[in-house]
Amino acid sequence: MPAETTVIIKRKGQRPAEAFSKEKLHQSVVAATLSARAPEGQADNIAYAVTNYVLEWLESRPEVTSHDIRLVATRHLRAHHPDAAYLYEQHRTTL
Amino acid sequence: MDIASSLAIVTLAALIHASFQLSVSVLTLLSGHAIGAKHSQARIMRLTFGFVSGAGVMTLLGLSFISLILLHLFGNEAPEFVWAIACGLLIGVGLAVWFFYYRREKGTSLWIPRSFARHLSDRSKATKSGAEAFSLGLTSVISEILFIGAPMLISALVLIELPGHWQLVGIAIYAVVSLLTLFSVWVLIGSGHRLSSIQKWREDNKGFLQFASGGALAILGFFVYVCKILSDASGALL
Repeated sequence: MPAETTVIIKRKGQRPAEAFSKEKLHQSVVAATLSARAPEGQADNIAYAVTNYVLEWLESRPEVTSHDIRLVATRHLRAHHPDAAYLYEQHRTTL
Repeated sequence: MDIASSLAIVTLAALIHASFQLSVSVLTLLSGHAIGAKHSQARIMRLTFGFVSGAGVMTLLGLSFISLILLHLFGNEAPEFVWAIACGLLIGVGLAVWFFYYRREKGTSLWIPRSFARHLSDRSKATKSGAEAFSLGLTSVISEILFIGAPMLISALVLIELPGHWQLVGIAIYAVVSLLTLFSVWVLIGSGHRLSSIQKWREDNKGFLQFASGGALAILGFFVYVCKILSDASGALL
């Protein structure tokens, strides 16, 4: 099953569900990695690897929450750039 | 109360204000989004400086506004029941901060309505210009009013008793000292420090910050109560 057909439940259903967007995940990982002061090229490579990992994970799942995606992406991002993973994980709990 | 004691109270109240973390959280988010959006360092500094300036202006306006209202209501000396209410408020907010300031979860989430936190978080992401950052700074101080209201009130009560030029000095001291943490974070971001290390420090020390803020509020409330109400009462008896 292609990952693009997976439905993402956002904020425990408080916001409308939407289809998984590879670009959106890529951009959010790039932003977190750049925030950790990584160079642009490295940020892009890491985001590519993390996005591919999440795509594989999504293949057998028709419906997941945005929180699940954040957890899976963080787990993989931690292996590449722990500081970026920390910022990515903390994004919703900073305020 | 002499001028030195008055300014010392204003300084302690401003330090307590500085220890509150909502504005620091918004500044951290704002700079994170700005760095993540590949803005130049100069633009990041402009945005974050706009935010700090906004917070400073709103602090000045807030304290001046409360002082003006008290001055209109009570003249140069507020009655003792107002001091007693302000002291009770300080101690009450201090206890509330001990128990409720941070949410019991990972990160540095504060005990503010989630919809409100999301709004501030979304605004920090949408902020693109210095003017927007300035208004976000204004808003973040208003959002903190539940916590900073009590130290501002006690500072205003102290300030209205001072001669005119010392009132200005007191307001300036309050504004500068209350901005110390925001300035520190701004300097750290400007000097290229990683946001993750700033956020990690905040998370690791959140228990201490919570204890220190709550404790300092209660101590300030108790000190002013003894200084102002009990000493006046004992003076009247003697």
